[in-house]
Amino acid sequence: MKRLLGVALGILTAIGGFVDIGDLVTNAVVGSRFGLSLVWVVAVGVVGICLFANMSGRVAAASGRATFEVIRERLGPRAGLANLSASFLINLMTVTAEIGGVALALQLASSVHYLLWIPVAAVAVWLVIWRVKFSIMENVTGLLGLTLIVFAVALFLLKPDWGVLAGQALAPAVPDGETVPTYWYYAIALFGAAMTPYEVFFFSSGAVEEGWTVKDLVQSRLNVLVGFPLGGLLSVAIAGCAAVVLLPAGIAVTSLSQVILPVAEGAGKLGLAFVLVGVVAATFGAALETTLSSGYTLAQFFGWSWGKFRRPVQAARFHLAMIICLLVGLAVLATGVDPVLVTEYSVVFSAIALPLTYLPILIVSNDPQYMGQHVNGRAVNVLGMAYLVIILVASLAAIPLMIVTGAGS
Amino acid sequence: MVLNTPASPPLRGSRPRRRLSVTVLCAGLAVLVVGCSGVSGSVASAVKDSSSAVATARLALRQDMEGKLTRAATATTLDDALREVDTGRSTVQKLSPATREDRDTQRQALEALDACAAAFATARAAVSADDVGSAPTTADGDRALAAAQDALNQLGDKAGGT
Repeated sequence: MKRLLGVALGILTAIGGFVDIGDLVTNAVVGSRFGLSLVWVVAVGVVGICLFANMSGRVAAASGRATFEVIRERLGPRAGLANLSASFLINLMTVTAEIGGVALALQLASSVHYLLWIPVAAVAVWLVIWRVKFSIMENVTGLLGLTLIVFAVALFLLKPDWGVLAGQALAPAVPDGETVPTYWYYAIALFGAAMTPYEVFFFSSGAVEEGWTVKDLVQSRLNVLVGFPLGGLLSVAIAGCAAVVLLPAGIAVTSLSQVILPVAEGAGKLGLAFVLVGVVAATFGAALETTLSSGYTLAQFFGWSWGKFRRPVQAARFHLAMIICLLVGLAVLATGVDPVLVTEYSVVFSAIALPLTYLPILIVSNDPQYMGQHVNGRAVNVLGMAYLVIILVASLAAIPLMIVTGAGS
Repeated sequence: MVLNTPASPPLRGSRPRRRLSVTVLCAGLAVLVVGCSGVSGSVASAVKDSSSAVATARLALRQDMEGKLTRAATATTLDDALREVDTGRSTVQKLSPATREDRDTQRQALEALDACAAAFATARAAVSADDVGSAPTTADGDRALAAAQDALNQLGDKAGGT
């Protein structure tokens, strides 16, 4: 019974923790401009993140070490540094975007300007990382993030023409007023949002934090294979809401306040309350994860003592690195840069850096020295190689498309 | 292995064809860049963004009147939308039109965007005043935004037609 509850909790937190500011903004932007014609990208992204998160969870459970640590050891410092540079910079951008997202959501709830909420959000992130147990931190934000299900509820309450939505999803086409390069630019952004690198590093480091062994592989697999696809459905619901309310009104999403309007339209003030709690929880949870991921990647590369399972005094450099990352994020946001713009760029740059993150994971998870009998099977490797091709194409196409489309404008 | 495969001899005419492809690609990119810049392109883009912002504000005001949105959320949405209009206005103001036609387009766009900003001020005052006293009501705000949206639509049609 206890094990069953553990599995259920893991799946629920995986669903609630799947959506972050990148998913919220990108899905709403795409829904408001392209309807559901890019929903196939969410499906491709969800399968990809399931594949690689599962792989990195298996690396952690089989070797007892986090993926990044193994990559550094197995591929050497140069390859490790390339991986670190790409992942860390994207991570830093994502930390900035998530803290900005928390502040924007709090502004929506209070009408107090978001710049005043930014230091509050950053201090809260630091305090939770410093004081709160890993499992409590993960479960509370994940479960509160589940309130984002209100997007799916609102979609039903809006009584859309399901045939039209299904038509957009099943026969994707570039809508009038949009160009083919813009369509593909947002396809890459959506793919980057679904496959953000921090998710896999957090997943594998979290596995070490929670002391997973090969006995936990079934639970890990269930969390990923059930939780993430259900989280992906939440992403589709966000795009669906925008497609039903904002697209016909000629509203292209450029701010977080526009993302919540369809929920208020369908579910009123009660829905609004749920969505605000959900957005704060999702962005705050992701801010915790990305801040921790920054500390994890740096500490694992340089061989520092790391982990929330250790007292801060025993992992001083790990904690200091996270504090510096938070301060950098704070400084960037203090310039007045739009957090939504940071989010939009972070998901595209995330797509650019994907090969440097995912190729090493594929290599390490095929190494019997670390994995023993738990190396990738043939089917996983075939799928992994297919995804590497997709990731490479997305990565190479991202910058030219960004230039040609003026960053999707 | 791919690396050991001897290089195939170049096909006859493949270099000129590649050059032609590169030229066509560059020309395409140039057309795209030029097409998206210039006074009319920038005005059309600013009008489109502002029109989206006004539609957002009207949706938020309607939801506010129907009791679906809190005042804090309505006020934030209006502020965000106004910022979008201000960005558009600033872009149009910075343009340097070379012809009389472009100068007219710029002037008309600035007038329409000023009208938008004024409509936003009415709507924002209505939301802050909570529909009491002599302050404008949310319905007044909505009417002002509707008028601004009409002006933007006309301008958009004109900019799209040029």
